[in-house]
Amino acid sequence: MPRDDAKNLAALCADVDALTGANLETVLATLPNWDSLAVLLTISHFEHTHAVGITATQLRSCRTVRDLLAHLPC
Amino acid sequence: MHSSLSNIRISGLAVSTGSVVRDFRADGLAAGDDPAQLERVAKAIGLRERRVAAPGVTSLDLCEDAARRLLEEMAVDPTSIDALIFVTQTPDYLQPNNSSLLQARLGLCKSVAAFDITQGCSGWIYGLHQAALLCSHGAARVLVCAGDTLSHQTDPKDTATHPIFGDAGSATLVEKTGSESAMHFIFGTDGSGAQAIMVPTGGARQPVAAGAPGAYLQMDGAEVFNFALREVPPAVAGVLKLAGWTPSTTDRLALHQANRFVVSAVARKCGFPDAKCPMDLVEQFGNQSSASIPAALVHACGSTLQEQPLKIAACGYGVGLSWGAAAFTVGPVVVPPMLPFPRR
Repeated sequence: MPRDDAKNLAALCADVDALTGANLETVLATLPNWDSLAVLLTISHFEHTHAVGITATQLRSCRTVRDLLAHLPC
Repeated sequence: MHSSLSNIRISGLAVSTGSVVRDFRADGLAAGDDPAQLERVAKAIGLRERRVAAPGVTSLDLCEDAARRLLEEMAVDPTSIDALIFVTQTPDYLQPNNSSLLQARLGLCKSVAAFDITQGCSGWIYGLHQAALLCSHGAARVLVCAGDTLSHQTDPKDTATHPIFGDAGSATLVEKTGSESAMHFIFGTDGSGAQAIMVPTGGARQPVAAGAPGAYLQMDGAEVFNFALREVPPAVAGVLKLAGWTPSTTDRLALHQANRFVVSAVARKCGFPDAKCPMDLVEQFGNQSSASIPAALVHACGSTLQEQPLKIAACGYGVGLSWGAAAFTVGPVVVPPMLPFPRR
C-alpha cells in the first residue's frame, strides 16, 4: 500500500507549527520557525503518531518536507 | 544492570532551591529575543520561571540546607549517620570531594563513609541504590545528597540551553528496616552518545588555562530527547516488572524533570497518564538536574507522602548518557517544604 504523503503531511502540520502552509517540496531551511523546537515536535510526532523513532541526525539530514515523510513506512 | 534489595526504606526527603527567581519571558525580552518566538517556546516546552542559586551559592550549600532541615525535622542525630553520598556534577572543587566537605559541615562522625558520585540527571537513582546497598551490608542510616547548580554552567547566549536550568539541592535519608519493603533498580549507560551533553573543557583532557573564559555546558536537546524516548520506557517497564506492578497499580511515575514537553512525551510512551506523572516542576523551578526527582516528589506529592505510602516508579536520564530507574514504596515519611536558600 503506497504511503499517503498528503495525509501524513496534514497530520504533521497539525503538530509542528513551523510546517504550517508547507508542501512536499518546501525546503525546511527556508521555514522561519524550523528550529530546535520544530525538530523536537517532529520527533514527538513521528513517535506518537506513527510509532517511528526518527533520530535527530536523520532529521537534520532532510532537505525538504518530502525527505522527512520518506522516513515513514509504506 | 538489575538489582532488588529489601528491608530498606526512604524515611525523609527535603529539597532546597536557588533563591533567585528568573522569568523566562522577561529574560528573553531583555536579551532582545522575539516576543512571539518566546511565547511559542514557553507554551510548547513549558518554561515560565526558574529558581537559580545566588552568586557564590553552590550545590554543597543547597544540599547542606536541605540536609539540616531534614535532620532537624526528623530529630535525627547527625552522628547516627553511617554514610554520606553526594551526587553532583557541580562540586565546589576538583579536589576534595563535596561529601568530605559536607561531613564536616553537618558534624557527622569521622567513622562515616563519604563519597561522591559524578552523575547528573540519573544521579539520584544511583545515590539511592548505593545507599540501599550500604544498608544491606551493615549501615543503618545513609544520607544521600543530590544537587547541581547548572544555571551557573550554561552560556547566557545559548538560548536553547540557558533558560532551562534551575538550581537545587536535595537530602534523602535511607534506613535499614525490619519490614519487607523492597527497592528495585535498573541501570544503563551509552557512552557513545556522551557528546550530546558535555562541558568540553575544564577536565584533564582539555584543561582551561588560567584566566580563560569558563567552560559552558553544551547540550543537543534533540539527541537527548531521542535517547530518553529510546531508553527510559524499557527501563521503567523493567522495574515495574521486578516490582510486580503495572502503570495502573503504580501511584506515580517520577521522571527526571527535563521539561514538561519531554516528561509528557516519555510518560506517554511509558504508558502512564499525565495525571500520574509530575511535570510542572520545570515551569516553576527549572530543570534541577540530579535534584529533580526528589524535588518532583516533594513538590507534587509531599503532603500525601507525609500521610500515606505511595508506590513510586522513578527514572533519571541524562549526561553520560546514563539512565537509572527504580520502583519502591515510600511513605509515610518526613517531607519538609521545598524552600529557597538562602532565605530572607
